[in-house]
Amino acid sequence: MIRPPSDPQEPHVALVEEWNASEQHHKVVVQHVNIQGLGRTKEDLLGYEISDVFNAKNLIDVMKKAHIARQRLLRLGIFKEVEVLIDTSEGADALPNGLDVTFEVNEIKRLTGSYNTMVGNNEGSMVLGLKLPNMIGRAEKLTFQFSYGTKETSYGLSFFKPQPGYFERNLTLNMYKVTGQFPWSSLKETDRGVSAEFNFPVGPTSHMLKWEGVWRELGCLARSASFAVREESGHSLKSALSHTMSIDSRNSAIFPSSGALLRINQELAGFTGGDASFFKEDFELQLNRRLFWDSVLSASLWGGMLFPIEGKPSCIADRFYLGGPTSVRGFGMYSIGPQSEGDYLGGEAYWAGGLHLYTPLPFRPGRGGFGDLFRTHFFLNAGNLCNLNYGEGPRAHLQKLAECIRWSYGAGIVLRLGNIARLELNYCIPMGVQSGDRICDGVQFGAGIRFL
Amino acid sequence: MSLAAEAFVSQMAAAEPWPENATLYQPLKEDQILLSDSASSLAVQTYLRMCGLPVQVVCRPNAEYMSPSGKIPFIHVGNQVVSELGPIVQFSKAKGHSLSDGLDDVQRAEMKAYMELVNNMLLTAELFIQWCDEATVSQITRHRYGTPYSWPLNLILAYQKQWEVRRKMNAVGWGGKTVDQVYEDVSQCCQALSQRLGTQPYFFKIPTELDALVFGHLFTILTTQLTNTELLERVRSYSNLLSFCRRIEQTYFESQKAGGAPSP
Repeated sequence: MIRPPSDPQEPHVALVEEWNASEQHHKVVVQHVNIQGLGRTKEDLLGYEISDVFNAKNLIDVMKKAHIARQRLLRLGIFKEVEVLIDTSEGADALPNGLDVTFEVNEIKRLTGSYNTMVGNNEGSMVLGLKLPNMIGRAEKLTFQFSYGTKETSYGLSFFKPQPGYFERNLTLNMYKVTGQFPWSSLKETDRGVSAEFNFPVGPTSHMLKWEGVWRELGCLARSASFAVREESGHSLKSALSHTMSIDSRNSAIFPSSGALLRINQELAGFTGGDASFFKEDFELQLNRRLFWDSVLSASLWGGMLFPIEGKPSCIADRFYLGGPTSVRGFGMYSIGPQSEGDYLGGEAYWAGGLHLYTPLPFRPGRGGFGDLFRTHFFLNAGNLCNLNYGEGPRAHLQKLAECIRWSYGAGIVLRLGNIARLELNYCIPMGVQSGDRICDGVQFGAGIRFL
Repeated sequence: MSLAAEAFVSQMAAAEPWPENATLYQPLKEDQILLSDSASSLAVQTYLRMCGLPVQVVCRPNAEYMSPSGKIPFIHVGNQVVSELGPIVQFSKAKGHSLSDGLDDVQRAEMKAYMELVNNMLLTAELFIQWCDEATVSQITRHRYGTPYSWPLNLILAYQKQWEVRRKMNAVGWGGKTVDQVYEDVSQCCQALSQRLGTQPYFFKIPTELDALVFGHLFTILTTQLTNTELLERVRSYSNLLSFCRRIEQTYFESQKAGGAPSP
């Protein structure tokens, strides 16, 4: 009986009893592939994931294909554990070189719940989460999250359905209410919406098509909000279609040392109903390259433009914002660009670029363990944000974006949190500051998922 | 407004004179504005004309949400935003313009009492007829209130406002009333005002904010088309109130027609 390696870190370990090495290259035929331990999962869903095992020609091939099939079963998110058993076939129709492959699976519980309390930003809240994985047996997932806070409540319901046999093509339906407070604009926003999202890969790229209908309610955060923000208060309905294309060849999301990321997003609002009417385009590009001595050079470029349609002015909730520890460092959070009485109104076009050099900590303390989560980094950031007058033409627009560029440079330490987030502590020197911008020169702390 | 906020506003207001570019915001006149809001807005406009303070009227579909208290109208003067007639009167008083300075304490108390009567009776009756009378709500109000928005937001907002006003009516004890009872209340209020006015040109020797408030409500009722003319007839039956409205309209609105000021 052979058990293929279940731990991908140790591909060379295999338990072999009574088979000598030459037997590994004998031709074998996989006669049966079984799955045991199924409860509510429908078998036809799994057939696609394991069908490749039948094509194996020799023992090594069987082990490799069984390993790949196991990974595919695990990525469906419906099994706690999958074990593979390869045995000689038995029974009346057993061939002398026949094999039976059996996947022993352990399904996830039907309902999982979580309960957290969160404290932050002068508000405490209680968050309740419910998840029903593999609801009807074909890897569908229903999630519900409810957050009850001292100031605001928000909730979201989400249904995920992958295409059987083609997990990367999936559909998600969402219904949500979220609230947000934006002190840099003295604005608070409540969104109630529904959305339908369809993801599909095309070659190396992955695409997402989404329709979203949102009822937006804007209000002033304080009585002292500027009149320009007060004028934006009220209700509006946005019905928008958007498309995102992304290619990611980086070897890691947080500290990549090679590869590139390109993400382009388009959004068209207004042709499917609603009050908001605009076309929005934005892109993100990141290139990484390893240099001498374990250091990595990383360059990134972001940009976007918003074109209001039918002459309606753009809404403060749709415009772009720039500045802060996650974009142009050295400036206050979203505190660059057009403003009125200290409230930042955002802009209809922006660009931002960064050049970073990441090196391991000097003298490499804690090497191989905790120290690997840190990097020192030296950065140069630049960007600009402005409104456009659409009568002027594209050359005038580009010229406007090239005037009065804000930029900054500095150095700091970055810490990786899990595989999604990072913390930064930087010393920044902002330059090119225009009147109205708020700067944060000296030490700046930042936490987040997406950094320039 | 709380006492502290009032004191703060007074202090800020006293610092500067009334500017030329003061603006008054209300919902869209043609399609959106409702009877009660139109009446309140006209009352404020009349008061400011009586004081001789220039103000420009701007119509915005989101005026109700722009207002700091959620009520129409509100004025934007210099850096400050003040809503509703009461606070606006205080605000202009802090800048040195007042109509009721010539009154003694007894008269001022009487004026306040009559203003309370108008607010509690006339304004509440207007809100009731707009939002709680099924015929008016379905034919006029819901449609007008949702005009600036697209489907389905126009329905959601109209129903939300209707529930809010109905809750308020229940809270002040008007929830169980019928429309006829409300018309009776309006008649009684008009009778009290008519008796107080008598044959005088204004309620007191000089025009005060009470005149502005009464004019705002009565003129709007007389010139707004509802599903039936019941409300209009009830007000029209008091001839001295009719001539009062005509007098104020001629004095403060038509006389400035040559100057290009819009009529209410």
